[in-house]
Amino acid sequence: MTAIIEAIDLKKTYFSPFRRQRTEALRGVSISVKAGETFGLIGLNGAGKTTFIKSLLSVVRFDSGALTVLGGNPENPAVRAQIGYLPERLDLPRAFSARDFLRSVGRLKGTSDVDSQAQKLLNALGLSYRSRAKIGGFSKGMRQRLGLAGALMGRPRLLVLDEPTDGIDPIGRTEIRKILQEEKKQNGTTIFLNSHLLSETERVADRIAIIAHGKVVREGALQELCIQKKCWEVTVAPGGHVPQLMTTCGFVSAGEGDHRTWKRECDDAAEMNGLIASLISKGIVFEEFFHPFERLEEVLSNSLKEHPESVPPGGVQ
Amino acid sequence: MKIFQVAYDLLKEAVARKWFLGLGVALTLAMSIIGLSLRLDVVDGVLAASRLFGDVLSTDIQSVDVALRPVFRVFSFVVFYGGLILGILVCSGFAPTIFNEGRIEHLLSLPISRFELLAGTFLGVLLLSAMGTLYGTVGLTVILGVKTGFWTCALIQSGVIATSTFGTIYMAMLVAALFVRSAPLGAAVGGVVLVAGFISCFRQELLEMMEPGFWQQTLKWGLAPFPRVHLVASLAANTAQSMDVSLWTGARQLLSQGVFSLAIFFFGWWKFEQKDF
Repeated sequence: MTAIIEAIDLKKTYFSPFRRQRTEALRGVSISVKAGETFGLIGLNGAGKTTFIKSLLSVVRFDSGALTVLGGNPENPAVRAQIGYLPERLDLPRAFSARDFLRSVGRLKGTSDVDSQAQKLLNALGLSYRSRAKIGGFSKGMRQRLGLAGALMGRPRLLVLDEPTDGIDPIGRTEIRKILQEEKKQNGTTIFLNSHLLSETERVADRIAIIAHGKVVREGALQELCIQKKCWEVTVAPGGHVPQLMTTCGFVSAGEGDHRTWKRECDDAAEMNGLIASLISKGIVFEEFFHPFERLEEVLSNSLKEHPESVPPGGVQ
Repeated sequence: MKIFQVAYDLLKEAVARKWFLGLGVALTLAMSIIGLSLRLDVVDGVLAASRLFGDVLSTDIQSVDVALRPVFRVFSFVVFYGGLILGILVCSGFAPTIFNEGRIEHLLSLPISRFELLAGTFLGVLLLSAMGTLYGTVGLTVILGVKTGFWTCALIQSGVIATSTFGTIYMAMLVAALFVRSAPLGAAVGGVVLVAGFISCFRQELLEMMEPGFWQQTLKWGLAPFPRVHLVASLAANTAQSMDVSLWTGARQLLSQGVFSLAIFFFGWWKFEQKDF
């Protein structure tokens, strides 16, 4: 698959007025996002996520490194015409109606069927009943939906979403998730997502990168990242001799008193097979045998522990 | 051109705001008060004799356009300075709104260049001020025409000159918004350019009143770059009075404004290109 985003060793340092203070926002970020995938960028506050996202749109100019978006330079308006962007703190023109806003975005993007697309998006995002109302009277959730509609105008090849479900109620989040999945399915849109809501990221992302203090500390497919390769979890059939045998072999009970679910740390698969074989020979019946999954929160937390140099001075927020 | 699209959006947003409607009502009300309360009569028709048997009369009988010159002069100054002050106050919020966090990122992510965004914003505000000036000057022209029977579009031409000066002042306000997103600060910058531009017309007289030295030199060079606002106001007033205006003098004054605007614009553009949002 072709890379839609190819960032190599991106660096960006911000300076305070008169250069009294410097903040390294990106310290050599390399990320590759393939066509049609949903890529999630996660990290702590101030890790450099938004700076990276803004670099993708040339809203922020990086100091060094190389960046290709949709095969071109994002400085080029023709490249940006194929990107839909929803910023983190969206400030919409309050005097515009929802329809006016989408028309304006459509015209600036050079979309041919502005009106019909605007209507479709308003319907899809549940805003058609307020299409002529001024944005100033919209709730935060409605503005967020409208911002997403603006990002979807012109059928972009790449959607860059910075906290897309911020301020949206749980039902609204489900609807937005559906819309994004449909967009991906129907148009093959690549989605680049930054969200603090890790449970949301877990649900939609195919691949994830964890960024900390301006560096990518882990990157990979969601399953790959969340699987605990050193840990084994087994479920066994109940029996009076089970607890004693299992604890003898180094297993720790993971269930709540039923002695059916057990865990054990083990790096070597061959060693684990030997243990299981010996337990089977002693009459233990194994029902399940797998690597347990970690929640994304745990993955993030563990990654930061593994890379203490990536945690900014002052510690984890 | 995306510049026109940006300008169109700005105009549309301004027109959709309630205060814009309020401004239109206030302007109409002000003109109605002038129309109803101004006592202005032209006696003896459009043209009275100015010579009798070849001799110039030592009377105050004069042609109506000459008689009305002081009136047009006053109206021109009111439109010029009143329009500038009103424009500075009314338009100070546009650029900070556009450069607001969450708005500018969205705009810059769209396929428009920073040059187009800056130039489009300027054009939009200039068109807005031109609309306001046109409304005001056409209204005053009609009032004066109805009251005196003398019809001229000189006041409208004078309004065009006033708009060009507002463009110069607004350029400084727009560029200031790139540094600090604040409407009061934008208005303050506009006020400084207006006052400094006014004082710069009397620079020579002021310098003669000062002791030679550091402060005199500071004032001399400090005021040097500012457009000569009062000279342009006088040019507008002369145009409104239908007096002969030297083309060269007029062009030079407007050109100096244009150079100031362009210098500020290119500096702002350069700064905008460097800036991260």
